[in-house]
Amino acid sequence: MTVDVAHIAHQAVFGAVAAAGFGVLFNFGPRSLLWCGACGALALAVRTLGLDGRWSLEAASFVAAAAVGVMVRLLRPQLRQASSAMALAGCIPMVPGAFFAQAILGLLALTTPAGTETSAMIATTLEYTLRVLFTVGAIGAGLTIPIHLMRTREF
Amino acid sequence: MPDTDPVLLRHRALEQIAMVALYGARVMMESGARAQVVHQCAEMMAHGMGAERVAFRSGYASLVITVTHGVNSITRMVDVGRHGVNHRLDLDIRRLAVRVAQGGMGPAETQAEIERLVRDTPRHPPWLVAIAVGVACAAFGRLFGVDWPGFAAAAVAATIGQYVRHELIVAKVNGFVIAALIAFISATLGEIGAMLLHSGTVNLALMASVLLLVPGVPALNAQMDIMEGSPTLGSARAVTVIVIMVFVTVGVWLAQALMGLLP
Repeated sequence: MTVDVAHIAHQAVFGAVAAAGFGVLFNFGPRSLLWCGACGALALAVRTLGLDGRWSLEAASFVAAAAVGVMVRLLRPQLRQASSAMALAGCIPMVPGAFFAQAILGLLALTTPAGTETSAMIATTLEYTLRVLFTVGAIGAGLTIPIHLMRTREF
Repeated sequence: MPDTDPVLLRHRALEQIAMVALYGARVMMESGARAQVVHQCAEMMAHGMGAERVAFRSGYASLVITVTHGVNSITRMVDVGRHGVNHRLDLDIRRLAVRVAQGGMGPAETQAEIERLVRDTPRHPPWLVAIAVGVACAAFGRLFGVDWPGFAAAAVAATIGQYVRHELIVAKVNGFVIAALIAFISATLGEIGAMLLHSGTVNLALMASVLLLVPGVPALNAQMDIMEGSPTLGSARAVTVIVIMVFVTVGVWLAQALMGLLP
């Protein structure tokens, strides 16, 4: 496996920008936004590394979310109660929103009167739908498992 | 134990405890907290204010609490408003719950403190949120291959979309209608902008322009709620996510139809 450092850095930087930008929408404080960016960068770096290693999107997303979950648990003394929310914000750039829209657009296209290759369209739409479900599921599981395994008594 | 025992909390006092704990829980729910955190917060507040036992149930549109002290018990319910995400308010209420749980704060004082937090917790100005969301959507676009002209178009389109969304939320327009309207506006602007800037990834720029509408936090909260023992609330969140995406897709579809991309 060859590691394309420039590609990983590109994905990490834009993952950080996306996570911090959505952090502003979610009303994170200025200091927390930096941590959101760090979580986003880690998530995208790990996911890109996995994808470059020919993992599936779902597997790479799971491992990336788990990495973020472990990181925020280890940094809990610094992050305090904000840790879970930051992990979640960091994983937002991995939510396959474009796939979701493509899946529903595919469903809409199936209803058009003529001209579409129906069986191919159904297969593509089903593929997008399943990938959305499995990827969101993988991110949720990846985030939740470390949070529960490394549970602390602190609220 | 006789009913006149002064140690026992009477129904009136229990009602105040229940209503204040519900108020805190409602604010947390509307701020995007997970069900387990909302339950924990309400229980800590109720115990801190003097309840012996607490039972709590969270639904998507309402919350129910039963507080008990001695032989007295009371059940109360409260509506939940628009589900948003407000991290700083969420954190402030959690810190307050910890303080209340340590004892010494009564219902009146706790209620006043929650009202103060709702009123005074800082929010980023709408123009800053709009720009940040615009840049975030464009960055999101870069992750799936949008070129630089498409990046610029998506950033501008999503910025305008977020600003209009804020105005529509303030005007209390239905959330699903907002999703369709903003998807249409952002997708149209993103597409026109990408074409004007000679982007080679017009369709991807269009998709990036509407990513501000993808309900990522509710989608992940839905799964976590189900995993943590609140399947009803989790399912309701999941259904809401799906319906929002249907409305987003309608907006995108209308934009594409307008631009003549659909047959």
